[in-house]
Amino acid sequence: MAVTKQKNLTLNAFTAAALLLPGLVVPSAHAADNDEMDFQYSHYQEGKRNIGDVPNSKNPIEVDTIQGGAKTSLSDRVKFTFKYTQDTWSGATPITTAPLTFLGNNPIQTNGVITGASPLITGRINVDKNNNYSPVQQAGVESNGIIPIYQNNNQLVHTLSVASPETRKQGDFKLGYEWDEAGLDVGGGLSVENDYESRFGNVGGYFDFNQKLTRLNLGLSYTNSDTNALIDYDAQTYIDKNAYMASGQLNSTQNGLRMQSNRQDWGSNIGLTQVLTENSLIQGTVGYTRSTGYMANPYKVMEALFVDPNQPPDLINPLGDGRNFFGDGTPANIVNADVKAFLEKRPDLRNQVNLGSRYVHYLSFLDAALHLDYHFSNDDWGIKAHTFEGDWVQPIGSGWTVTPRIRYYSQDAADFYKPYLVINQKASSNSNNTDYQKLPDNYSSDQRLSAYGALSGGISISKKFAKGVTLDTGFEYYTHAGSLKMGGGGEADYANFSYYVANASLKVNLSALGHISGSSEHSHHEHLHSSPIPAGVMFGHMMEKTGEFMVGYRYMYNTEGGGMLHGANSIADKTIVNQGCGTTDKCYLTANGMNMHMHMLDLMYAPTDWLNLMLMPQFVDMNMSMRKLNDAPSGGMQNMMVPAMVNAGMNTGGVGDTGIYTLFKLFSTPNHRINLTLGATAPTGDVALLMRHTMGQSMSAVKGIDGGFYDYGMQLGSGTWDFKPSATYTGHFDEWSWGTQVNGTKRLENKNSSGYALGDVIQSTAWGSYSLLHWLSSSVRGVYTYQGAIKGEFNAPIDKMGPIDYPKNYGGQYWDVGFGINAFVPSGNLVGNNLSFEWLQPVGTQVNGYQLNRDGALSATWSYMF
Amino acid sequence: MNNQNLGLYKRIIKLIFILAISHTLINCTSVQPWQRRNLAKPQMALDSASMINELRSHNYGSREAGSGGNSASGGGCGCY
Repeated sequence: MAVTKQKNLTLNAFTAAALLLPGLVVPSAHAADNDEMDFQYSHYQEGKRNIGDVPNSKNPIEVDTIQGGAKTSLSDRVKFTFKYTQDTWSGATPITTAPLTFLGNNPIQTNGVITGASPLITGRINVDKNNNYSPVQQAGVESNGIIPIYQNNNQLVHTLSVASPETRKQGDFKLGYEWDEAGLDVGGGLSVENDYESRFGNVGGYFDFNQKLTRLNLGLSYTNSDTNALIDYDAQTYIDKNAYMASGQLNSTQNGLRMQSNRQDWGSNIGLTQVLTENSLIQGTVGYTRSTGYMANPYKVMEALFVDPNQPPDLINPLGDGRNFFGDGTPANIVNADVKAFLEKRPDLRNQVNLGSRYVHYLSFLDAALHLDYHFSNDDWGIKAHTFEGDWVQPIGSGWTVTPRIRYYSQDAADFYKPYLVINQKASSNSNNTDYQKLPDNYSSDQRLSAYGALSGGISISKKFAKGVTLDTGFEYYTHAGSLKMGGGGEADYANFSYYVANASLKVNLSALGHISGSSEHSHHEHLHSSPIPAGVMFGHMMEKTGEFMVGYRYMYNTEGGGMLHGANSIADKTIVNQGCGTTDKCYLTANGMNMHMHMLDLMYAPTDWLNLMLMPQFVDMNMSMRKLNDAPSGGMQNMMVPAMVNAGMNTGGVGDTGIYTLFKLFSTPNHRINLTLGATAPTGDVALLMRHTMGQSMSAVKGIDGGFYDYGMQLGSGTWDFKPSATYTGHFDEWSWGTQVNGTKRLENKNSSGYALGDVIQSTAWGSYSLLHWLSSSVRGVYTYQGAIKGEFNAPIDKMGPIDYPKNYGGQYWDVGFGINAFVPSGNLVGNNLSFEWLQPVGTQVNGYQLNRDGALSATWSYMF
Repeated sequence: MNNQNLGLYKRIIKLIFILAISHTLINCTSVQPWQRRNLAKPQMALDSASMINELRSHNYGSREAGSGGNSASGGGCGCY
């Protein structure tokens, strides 16, 4: 007995030695142990900014991020990693900073009550010449009721502008090779958003020595990014862009003025990790990054106060009695300052050096690990930054781990950072001016370049289940404040803000699953091989073994374009203008193209062999381009709004509705199955997405008008609880399989919180499939769909500009033919993985009212059962 | 960056290497493979929560001028 125990101890010790050392990976036949898939969702939410004396009605920035990735071993020594990230953000963000006395947030009044603010960034204020041109405001008048009394007011405030929803998509990969004591990675990727595209490549390597107690890391990366940003249409007329026009970076294009410029970043780092004792290790890194090109933000603006030095102080002694002073009796020398706005400018070169260190210590009496980090960075913009972080990773048994963490960050301001500029020269009076030449070379009021500190704290909770599945959830709160800067001297508190991030992730270790008994392999094979389901069909499969799990990812892409339909027929613009928007309204524009992307996570569990539970969170993003209708009437507000909308298009995105389903096995023989699904979608998708307050001060006629709701089709969900039943029959014989399904969507409420309900849906479909190879099959499918028109309408203002803004122009009848392929992995480490694609080609369309024709739909699914 | 700062970095970098190398020599054989059991625990991994840390870095990087730059990976703008 004792001998056995001793043997076990020794075995454990050697096994441990052969296991992954943190940062000191031992490549071996165990490489496949790291094959995994992961998904992550996170929500970033900023708190509302304080904008002084005007209520801030704008929703602050929020970002929804989804991420999915896979890491797989191509051989014992070769690993491939792929990752996809998508984030959608929207909300109000500071575009500039100005003295409060300037009233940069122009009050919006509804029925005489101030309800919000719209940006106002040019004009005139009073400043005190005797006090460094500090802004003053009238505090009252003397008892005679004539002579004004002034007071200094140095309070600053951000001017906020709403950023329309925008989605960024990034794909990146890494290919790695491992030797016994070294490794080499080559990676690259692409990040795409409307106004910014970034391509990057990197190479990294490590070398272990000193009996794997020491590791040397080296890394080199190159990033090439293009900015192609449409300058805010509403702000174009009052932002001075002459500096960029002169440099050739700002160009007039067909649909507006665009900032077109390039930036390149070279990054390098070297790191050394050293095992200190059997309970601790330390890491040191040195990095250097060189960035060149356009590094400014095309939406940020610098306010400059132009004060004519020869200007007679017009407010001194207006009555000739020598009296004109501050409330405290100080004589005043009040002059005018012209406020002008300039697109910010930053140096086109940045050299940044980073030093990092990390210490990790194991506390055996708690089985916990303490991680301590310090990071210092310094650049030639004058920004020195310190970061301290401590994480406590505490396993608490049964696969649970709790990690509280705290982080502190502090930075100095960039040399060219100023909340606003004071220029002691007269401003030009015409628009074709050279005022920009009176400014310094570089200037920015971006708070990210100011002096401040940030404190954040959070907690992560992780649970590792048997079968190699790990669930993680976390929360972090972050607060940015000038007063938190190390050593003091930070920016004033107008720039303070905070945010929180909540996240959840799922990680599946494929090889751990692949090691489950051979019978499971057989079951995958049997089940998936028997009746492949086309990618566009949901609820076709049921798991038939108690305790089985399935995790899947489903992607759907819908594209519309190719002209407008009335019923089943093409229609001329003139008819749409006169009839598409009801009997009294005219149409001014119409959709030109629309794309919708849906990402769905498919989580399924079989508590018994006849019932499966399913949870399906969804994430959507949409974009729509618009065109002006020929023969549309002109004049009035439409003259300004139509080009604004045509230029900018529309983008929305975020969390969609969440599906919760129960699948029942009604009938099952080896060759035939019938399943029934009863479920619902919860209205987690936003149906109150608003367009920005479109018009700035240049359009005084419509100043502060709210853009109203995005149209019905651009909202993210239905807004109602929806009942979603379906019945599916599948059969197979030899290489052939087939199936049919009827499904429906019944809205359980008459209207959602925005005042309307989408139409009910009924759909029927039938398909046949043939196995070309034992792991590959192809399918053909027919689909008929009926969807009713929208009931009710938006219960708050919407700018009705085109057919998409009218409920009767939704729904219809649709006939499609689908062509699909389906592949599964029958053996090996990745057994149980299933991948399918299907293209749905419209063959018949009969729309309600006036709608854009359809181009087709693509479905792709990946699923894994274990 | 001025020369004074560059000099300072060079000194710091040298110091780190000297410390690490001397420590390595001193501890050359002090932690034997069978003594690395604790080091191999998941909580001791240098990046014990890579997914969430990547997300956090992205958030910090889009809000702070001095963040990022410690890994050579490239990426998007995040300039909201």
